[in-house]
Amino acid sequence: MNLENLIIQLLNGLVFSMLLFVMAAGLSLIFGLMDVVNLSHGAFYLLGGYIGLTMVRGLGNFWLALVLAPLLVGGLGLMVEYLLLRRLRGTGRHRHLHQVLLTFGLALIAADLIRWNWGAYVESVPGPPLLAGQLPLFNIQFPVYRLALIGFGLALAAALWMFMGRTRLGAIVRAGVSDPQMVGGLGINIQLVFAAVFALGTALAALAGVIGSPVLSLYPGLDLEILILTFAVVVVGGLGTLKGAFFGSLLIGMADTFGKALLPQFSLFLIFAIMALVLLIRPSGLFGLKVA
Amino acid sequence: MSTGRVTGRAISRRTFLKVAGTFGAAAAAGPLLAACGPRAASGPLKIGVLLPYSDIYAVLGESITEAMRMFFEENNNEAGGRTVELITEDETTAPDVALQKARKLVEQDQVDFVTGVVSSGVLAGLRDYIETNKKLLICSNAGANPLSRAGKTPYIWRTSFTNWMPNWPVGTWAAENVGKRAFISVPDYAAGQNTIDSFTNSFTAAGGEVIGIQKTPFPNMGDPAPFIAEIADAAPELLYSFYSGGAAVTFVKAYGDFGLAGQIPLMSSGFMVEEDVLPAQGEAALGVRSGLHWALLLDNPENKKFTEAYKTRTGKDANVFAMQGYDTAHVIAEMMKVVQGDTTNVDKMIESLGGISFASPRGSFSLDANSQAPRHHIYLRDVQNVGGALHNVVIKDLGEIVDPGDDSKG
Repeated sequence: MNLENLIIQLLNGLVFSMLLFVMAAGLSLIFGLMDVVNLSHGAFYLLGGYIGLTMVRGLGNFWLALVLAPLLVGGLGLMVEYLLLRRLRGTGRHRHLHQVLLTFGLALIAADLIRWNWGAYVESVPGPPLLAGQLPLFNIQFPVYRLALIGFGLALAAALWMFMGRTRLGAIVRAGVSDPQMVGGLGINIQLVFAAVFALGTALAALAGVIGSPVLSLYPGLDLEILILTFAVVVVGGLGTLKGAFFGSLLIGMADTFGKALLPQFSLFLIFAIMALVLLIRPSGLFGLKVA
Repeated sequence: MSTGRVTGRAISRRTFLKVAGTFGAAAAAGPLLAACGPRAASGPLKIGVLLPYSDIYAVLGESITEAMRMFFEENNNEAGGRTVELITEDETTAPDVALQKARKLVEQDQVDFVTGVVSSGVLAGLRDYIETNKKLLICSNAGANPLSRAGKTPYIWRTSFTNWMPNWPVGTWAAENVGKRAFISVPDYAAGQNTIDSFTNSFTAAGGEVIGIQKTPFPNMGDPAPFIAEIADAAPELLYSFYSGGAAVTFVKAYGDFGLAGQIPLMSSGFMVEEDVLPAQGEAALGVRSGLHWALLLDNPENKKFTEAYKTRTGKDANVFAMQGYDTAHVIAEMMKVVQGDTTNVDKMIESLGGISFASPRGSFSLDANSQAPRHHIYLRDVQNVGGALHNVVIKDLGEIVDPGDDSKG
């Protein structure tokens, strides 16, 4: 691998890592704060993507879709939390199993509803005309949209970091990750915080769906692919921290990219090997605050 | 008069009744079971349809099913004098799940024979079960080569193609008309490997050299950007590829996004740029040449009739999978005509398959007894803008072809 190829693949790795980060940030928060295993995360990604597709086709504006689709899906997430997940709250020994069953069931239903409404053909979403260009780089043209993805991911990371670190709500969320009962004991409506975080998490998944669709397209079965990748990131990076989601995304994103470049047949295996290794050495993930 | 107590010798009335009752039931059950047993050669023709209706290949399953239904409806919904009844099950992409579904169709639903199967992996997984149970499977898609070669079984016939077919004639043409240094990118499973073998065989025989091979994760390819970068780095004179479904779209889009579309000619197995994925691929697919046993705009009367009827029925353009489904139904109808509706003798049904030939939307079609697969033409197609939409236009008929039945040609 010569230097030029290395640089191109590094950029590819960054692009994929940032996409993973947007996907994983929400899941990490949900898992970390609410101790909820959300297997419908991929379905929210796919739903966001398809709603974005409809909006782009209907409104002709990618940016509007980028804002509206996550809001819609976030609202849906709020309803799911209020109507369904809340009933599973508790510290029972089988709570994770119940969450798995519920959220997986939701994922299956969502997948069928999506296919029923949008059909089974592969759909591709055009990116915004503003970002449609290419940058000549060595022997290829690097799409501007992908470069913009890197910027977007970094900006989102910064925004979330400021939210978590500098706002009162952020402090409540962080405290809730460490000790939800204590937070409740301080007179804060922890139920509301949970609901808000779940809504934020699903909105982030939908956001990832919209920005990811020009790259990964939309088709039945994509939700499962996304779910697997996102869980790998969250397990490796650690639960409940943005730092974990960020560095987990970088690690998995780079491993995936260079795995594909150097050992294409084993790239998928590589990701899971890393996951297994991290689970053996540090079960709570690289930066995790909770045991998985 | 019994007191109800069973002594060593005397048989109580209760015991007598129990025994007599059991024998009576057995005697009555005999003829009842016999009537339910081997399929009667009358009553509805139950066809087990095992196709993907979920996940990545859902479109293929739906297309094949729709076209099958269309053919049967055009023919009074009957074959061999019996009413056609399609019992569908989702093949998914997992061979073990598909096997369970096949079991259900054969053992629970007692179908007369099975059809369908999109995935080569699934077909390979079903092979032994089909052979052991001596049930006929008329496959409408899966192209795994071994099922026409070393892994052949009399009970599996194909109306579709073998993976060897779309690639081999194109290898020769590519070496003579496009370039001598090729890079191959395929998904890492049976169909991908078949693509590599058949293309390489004819390409190298015509003087070409394969300078690199990429086998990508299947079915979850993910972001193809790293693969595209490696291809660009290898700087081949042509890129030969095979992907289908979502991967076909993301790969071709990335190929266009990264500027390779103007630099490195892409040639492929026809599936990669078939009508079901062309709209999503967009401009990146312009100029991609591919080989396949059919094209939407293939000019013959059967194809015109078929494509118009399919468009009217579904609102979407036909694709090669639908065409295969249509021909499968046609083959079933022909077979049932020969055996006169009698599906109790599977050997007679198999015997009738080898003689079947008719004019198909794909041109001339007949079933080759040696490979248990079609004898048909491979067309070289070019993706062009036809009246505002992208379609495959036939630019050359590469001739009639039949699978060699062994691995001599890749």
